[in-house]
Amino acid sequence: MNTFEETAIVKEIIQTLIKAKKTIRTYPENNPVYSKIIATTFSKFSVFFISNEELVLKIKLNEILFGSERVYFNQEKEDNLAMFFFKDGIRELQFRNGLTPQELEEFLKIITLDFEREAVDDDIVTLLWEKDFQDIKYVADENFLVEDEEYGLKAENEIKGKSPASHEFQRAYTDAFKAEDLGEVAVINLTEEDLARLAGEINEDNAEDKLEKLSGLLFDILFIAERPSDYEDLVNFIKEAMQYAARSGDLRTFTYILRRLRKYSGDAGINETYRKHFSSLISLASSEESIKHISGIFDSEIETDDSFLNEYTEFLDRNAVSPLISALGEMKTIKGRRKVISILVDLGKKDIQTLVKGLKDSRWYVVRNIIYILRHIGDKKAVEYLLNSARHPDVRVRREAIRTLGELKSIHTLQALRHSLDDPDLSVRKASVEALCSIGSDTAKRIILAKISEKDFGERDFDEKKAFYEGLSAWDDPDVSEFMIKTLARTSLFKKSQMDEDKACAAHCLGLMGKKEAIPSIEKLKDSGNRLLNDYAINALKRLEYDRQK
Amino acid sequence: MTDRNDIGKTDAPKNIINTFAVIIRNAQIHDLNNIAVKNAVEKFMAILNPITAKYGILTLDLIGEFFFINQTRIRYSMEYLLNFDFLLREFKKRKLGSIAFNNTLTTHDLQTFLSLFISSAFSEEPFEALSEGTRHIVSIEVGPPKTLRDREEGEYDIRKTVKETYFNAVSFTKGVMNRIKSGEKESIKKAKRIVESIVDIMLEQDELLIGMTAIKDYDEYTYHHSVNVSILSVTLGHRLGLGKKALTELGLVALFHDIGKLEVPQEILNKPTNFNEDEWKIIKKHPIWSLRAILKLKGIDSLSIRAAIVAFEHHLNYDITGYPKLSRLVKTDLYTRVVSIADQYDGMTSSRVYARIAMAPDKALSVMTERAGTQIDPLLFKFFVNMIGVFPIGSLVLLDTKELGLVYGNNTAFPDRPRVMIVTDSNGNRIEGHAADLSEKDGSGRYLRKIIKTIDPNKYSINLADYLL
Ligand SMILES: [Fe+2]
Ligand SMILES: [Fe+2]
Repeated sequence: MNTFEETAIVKEIIQTLIKAKKTIRTYPENNPVYSKIIATTFSKFSVFFISNEELVLKIKLNEILFGSERVYFNQEKEDNLAMFFFKDGIRELQFRNGLTPQELEEFLKIITLDFEREAVDDDIVTLLWEKDFQDIKYVADENFLVEDEEYGLKAENEIKGKSPASHEFQRAYTDAFKAEDLGEVAVINLTEEDLARLAGEINEDNAEDKLEKLSGLLFDILFIAERPSDYEDLVNFIKEAMQYAARSGDLRTFTYILRRLRKYSGDAGINETYRKHFSSLISLASSEESIKHISGIFDSEIETDDSFLNEYTEFLDRNAVSPLISALGEMKTIKGRRKVISILVDLGKKDIQTLVKGLKDSRWYVVRNIIYILRHIGDKKAVEYLLNSARHPDVRVRREAIRTLGELKSIHTLQALRHSLDDPDLSVRKASVEALCSIGSDTAKRIILAKISEKDFGERDFDEKKAFYEGLSAWDDPDVSEFMIKTLARTSLFKKSQMDEDKACAAHCLGLMGKKEAIPSIEKLKDSGNRLLNDYAINALKRLEYDRQK
Repeated sequence: MTDRNDIGKTDAPKNIINTFAVIIRNAQIHDLNNIAVKNAVEKFMAILNPITAKYGILTLDLIGEFFFINQTRIRYSMEYLLNFDFLLREFKKRKLGSIAFNNTLTTHDLQTFLSLFISSAFSEEPFEALSEGTRHIVSIEVGPPKTLRDREEGEYDIRKTVKETYFNAVSFTKGVMNRIKSGEKESIKKAKRIVESIVDIMLEQDELLIGMTAIKDYDEYTYHHSVNVSILSVTLGHRLGLGKKALTELGLVALFHDIGKLEVPQEILNKPTNFNEDEWKIIKKHPIWSLRAILKLKGIDSLSIRAAIVAFEHHLNYDITGYPKLSRLVKTDLYTRVVSIADQYDGMTSSRVYARIAMAPDKALSVMTERAGTQIDPLLFKFFVNMIGVFPIGSLVLLDTKELGLVYGNNTAFPDRPRVMIVTDSNGNRIEGHAADLSEKDGSGRYLRKIIKTIDPNKYSINLADYLL
């Protein structure tokens, strides 16, 4: 390979690095595009390493050099690879033959971080340093670390100025002979047991436990605070600790802090200012931010201890309802949604008014979840809001609303249910019948009866008609059986097949209701010439005969 | 042959150190036909073969206190710490600096070499005996000890780098403290880089760095104290087997442990006499003030959480005596116990931190030995002594040759036989310092020098400055 070819490859490597930087930012690790770009980048390096042991790139502000060849040039401030390395002090990058795809991936992950936007405490040099790559080395300019160039010199001169005169050595020498004799010098050797104990200590030193410990200390210090400003600082630290706990999904510490706050705010002797601060900290449990993060835990892989979750829920107040509703919309797993729903069922009882605001959410599934929650709360106050949901554009919402209205058994729902008997969607119409049945009042019955009696009802599908008739049969009273028997006897020259369907439904329901007095009327239909009607009549008779034999 | 390799990434260092140590241990007790020895030899061959096949050669060098395999320094790791120390002693016993195996190595060669290795320990001139015998083995070569200087090429002067790193850290600490005092924002990135530079030097040359901490005469000692505690903590942390990232964390936490002293009035801090009761009351608040300063500076994140805990706890003893007083008992953090050892040692050996009279390093160590188990974590303290030596770096000692010496290097293999700078002749006349290794023997196998007494170097301002600066 000649220099020209090499330069071309190096340019390609740089371009692939830039591409990889973008790709890795965009795609998750399990995406094939992600693994592909790493493989591609690695293969570019491999080509270079066929005839070279090392790739050295010199980093300048706006350019990257390979030997004396410029392999990258960019004067823009944005997306400038040279500047990206340069500004953190990197002046040279060395990639060595032996580089593994794993190392390369780690390297790419580092250069993918958005140091401007993300709260990264490390610069690129620190990250590279920590990784300690075997085959990727760098040269960094450390000049910016020097605060005071003269400092060392001044300190040295200071010490040299104090350097002992020769007679000090003489004095030390003379004194030395007067010094105590050395006793037996104990040489302690480390043992395997020491190492095992040390390993235990290191294992025990978990980063996850530290915040709870610090929070405990903050409370200890809080009560010995002397100046008002100390006290304010501490309240603020506790607040930050809560926020950090929420952010990092540390529900255990979060509830620990809440528990301590509750304990102290309940103390009789506590001063009013403290109590106020403590309750405002407790109310952080219900803040939008806390809920956003904590509900994120429910959705994640992290196993949450339900006892902490339950305890946390105890601290929530009505302010939590609205953020919880937002969280509901963000949940990605069933597991997460269930947790939020169960909290809202608990909490919503205290504040139906806020909960029902969720019915206006633009996402149908959120609205459906809220209706579900309202159903489980079972408070009739929800009815007036649900009436609107019964007209929601999404059928799944309407169905849930109708079902809930039925369960809430409020007389105020009847009009809405009647309206829904004409819903464009079959499942909603059926649900409305069921809801009316569940209410079970005389009016409900009459609403169904009236609907079935309407002229064009006969045009509905058999399946739907059957559902309506079945619903009606829930009222085992003379009105209903009389209506059905009448139906069996109806005659008309027009729409005969529709009428036969009505008759089949009536026969079927009379059978279900065990109305033996209908046997003669049904008998007449079993050879009607309509197969469907015949079958239903025969089945109804069988049912009734069977009942009689019994 | 290639001068670079990827051995560092594999288990090879661990296996080589462990297996070689097992062979020597067993061979010292049994003969070479013993089954344990034979198995270990076979295992050793199996480890060496792929490496010599790949690189043509495998060299095991001892430079200073560290082993290098094919020029890659072996990390001092928990996994083989005891075998590492054992092998170090065995090398030093024989004045052996390196063994090189090439790709023609056979089991027979190795066995021949091992019997030479064992028997050479009984020779008056062990290295000569070993190297003479090895001349006939084509596949193995031995060499005398190298010094760090031999390894370095060109003008690179590690001493200069150590010095620069040290003073830079001190001046940075001064800058940070002053900026915090005047309410300026401080980015942690720079502090991290400073600690990283300390860790790098520590990995390369911990002795010189510890030597720097033994110079106590600076006027601005508060800043030096912070850096010294950081250096001693990081060095101890390394002995404990902590990785680079954890070492940075530990070093940062240590660097900021006394940051709350900013709020202690200068006239108290710089008081030439001992503190009175009221002054102590104020001094004892500094752990809480440190915690507050850290959290104010950085808010709450994983690093500041650790730093705040250590700042708060660093005067709480192992047995939870000390201050600040707590309402309930908590176990102090591992980092706290490390920093506390470093803090006590540096504090006691200086006249500016807690007491107005500095203790001699060996005296401080013996006071700490008494505290081990009550105020000091006894386990970590063992590692600390192992690191700093029985006669700690900076100790002024009288030798049986009537010369005065300053300890500058710990001999891990023989902790009571450190390396010293001879600073006077046998009549007490100051001389141009020259180095002496107290583990050196004369032709008849007797040690050339031995420590017989220790003196307080602070009384005479005799320190390693001449050697280090
Ligand atoms: Fe302190
Ligand atoms: Fe201190």
